[in-house]
Amino acid sequence: MKNPLMPVAASAAAGALALSLPPARALIEQSMVWHMLVQMPLLVATGWLGAAAFTAPGGQGWPGTERLNRFGLTGFMLALGAMAYWMIPATVDRAVVLPTADLAKVVSLVIAGVALRQSFGVAPAAVQLFFAGSALPMMGWLGVYMAGTDRRLCNAYSLESQIAAGQGLVVLAMFLGVCWGLALWQRGSGSIPNARF
Amino acid sequence: MPPVKPGHDPRTDGLMLTFGACLAVLLAALVLMYRATDGGSAFTTETLRRSEVARAPVQVPDFRVIDAGGNAQSLRALLAQSGDRAWIVDFVYTRCQTLCLALGTTFQRLQATIVEQGLQDRVGLLSISFDPLQDGPPALTDYAKRMRMQPGVWRLVSLQHETDRRRLLDNFGIMVVPAPLGEFEHNAALHLIDPAARLVHIFDLGEPGAALEAALVVRNAHVSLSTR
Repeated sequence: MKNPLMPVAASAAAGALALSLPPARALIEQSMVWHMLVQMPLLVATGWLGAAAFTAPGGQGWPGTERLNRFGLTGFMLALGAMAYWMIPATVDRAVVLPTADLAKVVSLVIAGVALRQSFGVAPAAVQLFFAGSALPMMGWLGVYMAGTDRRLCNAYSLESQIAAGQGLVVLAMFLGVCWGLALWQRGSGSIPNARF
Repeated sequence: MPPVKPGHDPRTDGLMLTFGACLAVLLAALVLMYRATDGGSAFTTETLRRSEVARAPVQVPDFRVIDAGGNAQSLRALLAQSGDRAWIVDFVYTRCQTLCLALGTTFQRLQATIVEQGLQDRVGLLSISFDPLQDGPPALTDYAKRMRMQPGVWRLVSLQHETDRRRLLDNFGIMVVPAPLGEFEHNAALHLIDPAARLVHIFDLGEPGAALEAALVVRNAHVSLSTR
């Protein structure tokens, strides 16, 4: 049976990868918005959708990973680490300049997406709250700082581009927060036993 | 099948394994971040570049440069021209309306201080244009006039060969980004070059005093070493 998510995941992957290759690479080289707000989220989405497409409907995680990812802890830790790493201005610069760093970015953010999908399926609300409560404010504060400072944080991008990306990060953090709240609410009213944790 | 204890929750099976995996992931992430930020001290490329140079001086590469008079010479020859001088170097393009104006003002103040204190034999100022296509001798002449450069103190050059541009910027760690209205944005700083033509320190635009002081220190250290 073909999963209907497959084509969506494939298009996210195609879009995200195209941005790392010429000619579309010029977009992420010139604009921090394209890099941090389009490509990076697309890479995470690729991992998320890909993992979802390969998980049986109603399934909560992959057999074999359960013992390593109780309550989704390991997956969240992995995703948090990858996201924090690629939010450091110096690493963003490196991904623009060095193809090897860019490859590492692509791989690690896709893995982060996979890990997030696996963890959200099995994590109790309290663990989710802890994770989202650290990742989203981190994103929001970085955005506020990037938009507010007159210091150029990335040598690869103009200040103008940095301010736009900063504002975008704040919006993205709020948007993800709302999405997460809605998903949790929906799950809470559903029949998944973990939700009472 | 082993007997299941009352109150046993299968969801906690292998919890220690999960804790171990978490710890491993956390450690790996911390090590990677520690390495990427020079031990948590530098979160931007600019601070990384500065601490790298401060730790290990970089030999200045040699290029053919051209001045406002159209005279071509090698960069090393220019640096060595007037004896044992330390140089404070900045990178500009003469059409600049933004950051380089601030750089220009800083260099004007430095020039005034150097002349006042009679330091011109010990410290020189050098502006290098990274826009060789636009900055030929006429543009350089114009800029030198606008900045009231005194040739004995403050030199201005452009690259003779456009092909050297990439190498120059890479060697000094300068990234030039196209900005609106045909401008460029670039990391502006004061680069201290010792009399042995090594880039030894990079100062913030706002620290000309510290740069001048350090220039005198490296110059005096060089002279006392070579006369020993």
